[in-house]
Amino acid sequence: MAIRIGLPRGLLYYQYGSIWERFLQELGAEVVITGDTSKATLNCGSGLDEVCLPAKVYFGHIYELYKQVDYLFTPRIISVAAGQYTCPKIIGMPDMLRSNIDNLPPLIDVNLNLRQNSRSLYQAIITVGHMLGKNAIRSLYAWYHAWQYRRMDQAIRYSKPNGQRIGLIGHPYIIYDRQISMNIIDKLNHFGIHVITPEMISNRQAAIAAKTLGKKIFWSNGDHMAGAALALIQSRQPVDGLIFITSFTCGPDALIGELVNQRAQALNIPCMLLTVDEHTAEAGFVTRLEAFTDMLIRRKQS
Amino acid sequence: MIITFPHMGDMSIALKALFTGLGRQVVLPPPISKRTLELGIKYSPETACLPFKVNLGNFIEALEQGANTIVTCGGVGPCRLGYYAEIQQGILKNLGFNFDMMVVEPDLVDIIKQLHRVAFKRNFWEVYLAFRLALAKIHAMDSIQRKVNMIRPREVSVGESDFIWRQTVDVIDATENLSTLRTAWHKGESELDGVKLKSGVRPLRIGVVGEIYVMLEPSINQNLDWRLGNMGVEVYKTMYLSDYINGHLFRKREYLKKFKYLADLAHPYLGHYVGGHGIKSIAHTIDMGQENYDGIIHMFPFTCMPEIVAKNILPKVSNDVDIPVLSLAFDEQSGEAGIVTRLEAFIDLLRYRRVKHHLA
Repeated sequence: MAIRIGLPRGLLYYQYGSIWERFLQELGAEVVITGDTSKATLNCGSGLDEVCLPAKVYFGHIYELYKQVDYLFTPRIISVAAGQYTCPKIIGMPDMLRSNIDNLPPLIDVNLNLRQNSRSLYQAIITVGHMLGKNAIRSLYAWYHAWQYRRMDQAIRYSKPNGQRIGLIGHPYIIYDRQISMNIIDKLNHFGIHVITPEMISNRQAAIAAKTLGKKIFWSNGDHMAGAALALIQSRQPVDGLIFITSFTCGPDALIGELVNQRAQALNIPCMLLTVDEHTAEAGFVTRLEAFTDMLIRRKQS
Repeated sequence: MIITFPHMGDMSIALKALFTGLGRQVVLPPPISKRTLELGIKYSPETACLPFKVNLGNFIEALEQGANTIVTCGGVGPCRLGYYAEIQQGILKNLGFNFDMMVVEPDLVDIIKQLHRVAFKRNFWEVYLAFRLALAKIHAMDSIQRKVNMIRPREVSVGESDFIWRQTVDVIDATENLSTLRTAWHKGESELDGVKLKSGVRPLRIGVVGEIYVMLEPSINQNLDWRLGNMGVEVYKTMYLSDYINGHLFRKREYLKKFKYLADLAHPYLGHYVGGHGIKSIAHTIDMGQENYDGIIHMFPFTCMPEIVAKNILPKVSNDVDIPVLSLAFDEQSGEAGIVTRLEAFIDLLRYRRVKHHLA
């Protein structure tokens, strides 16, 4: 019987999940992925104290999963780009899991640290392969295959702008988790607004825009988000408004949100900061979205 | 160029000595007050951590008093401190202040360049002297403070050691060269040695771990050392400014060795550096648990990322090492009564534990 590996749908899953899944499958494992976040996930997630909502959600997914699998795939992703970190809570996540859940199955918590060089990636791939009884070449080949799959995945997500456009800036694990983000993209689409997320801005575009900052941001997600926001407001056809969605107690976002807000104000582009936590009520959320979109429409007419 | 910098405990004394020694005029921000906090909170992002807000308040008040150059620190992450300056600069510019911001990044070339700008017609030797005096002041003050924390729970007339401490700090602040500094330091130490102690008391020993800013800034941590000392507790703070400087700036061998030792201790619980002092909080808790301390107080600013990671791991450490840990998050709302109540309850618990251990 194949080894069952649990993959929680939270945090960086929204950026790298499809590759991880494919990679583990190529190595001959059966991958169990949790379903969409639900109220029950949030309840389990409150096992962690004071952390941001996405971290709690991740914890909740692990809680749902850990009894059904032989291994949990929770790599310690320290850095995904030169000179940058992910976020302290992501770095410390495997340890927070271990300290707060008894009888966890073994964690596949290989370190991935591309801050200084990219050798760590290959070491991580080979280590994971070893744990599953595969040799180095098989593992690297599996990763290569999984990586190809990612390219195709990305090409599908392209869309063209028209009408009222809003830049929705936030971490992928907030925007694309329908429970956390209250389905904000669909809600905005329903108002007839075209939504642009940071993922629709290419890394290159974001990096060029981020060069106008006085100091390079050392959180990779934050860097891309700020770069994307700047690219959207500084382009020749700027967006009509920005919504910065963040979770309460997200550390980097407290500063990045302020930064984006400063820049948007200087260019006279409306910017709204939406903070979500486990108590956010849907009605209040919708009211704020409506007020913001109404304001944008009126602004365009006048 | 009129220089100012943020407050952190008694750090301003050393920095004042440094920049005056480099031939610059210095404007100290007024001591942290309610107004400082209010200004900081008003213009900071809501969920930024407390040091960000207090620093911003310091800057605003110092700029109002005529400073035109802010010296502050940078960093490489993942702690937010490294990105403070960029955001604060934007906020202050929007408020209409006209100033220069010098951000000291951990990069030797950069530091030398900045130094070149600051040091006004000073040669290498004079720059060296200025640094040496500032560092010596920090060492003197820290060593005295350590001693005071030991004496406070034992002194016969309450407040005697604090009086000597504040007096010595004032003298140290006024000294302009190493020899007068040494005299002041030795005078302070010998006065402290002369403080009459109660005989036969064995105070509770509490270790303080956590984030350096709230640990060192009495106006933010509600004067924690003093409070605990007066409740009859011997406080051992795991971090002083001199430790930070020797370890992180000069990377002295003994400190690096200690870091290695601490990282190894923490490794079963926290396998990687998470920024700030997260890993040290865990390591010191284990270390002091093994050295039979009575309890640990873990303090951090609300929303501090590295310490939140530590906080979620500490219950397990506390359980394994068998040492009680009290986590205290500080923010602008932290009221005195709330903190005191929690400290009293914690101390009662520790006393009870000690009696129980004694009987067993």
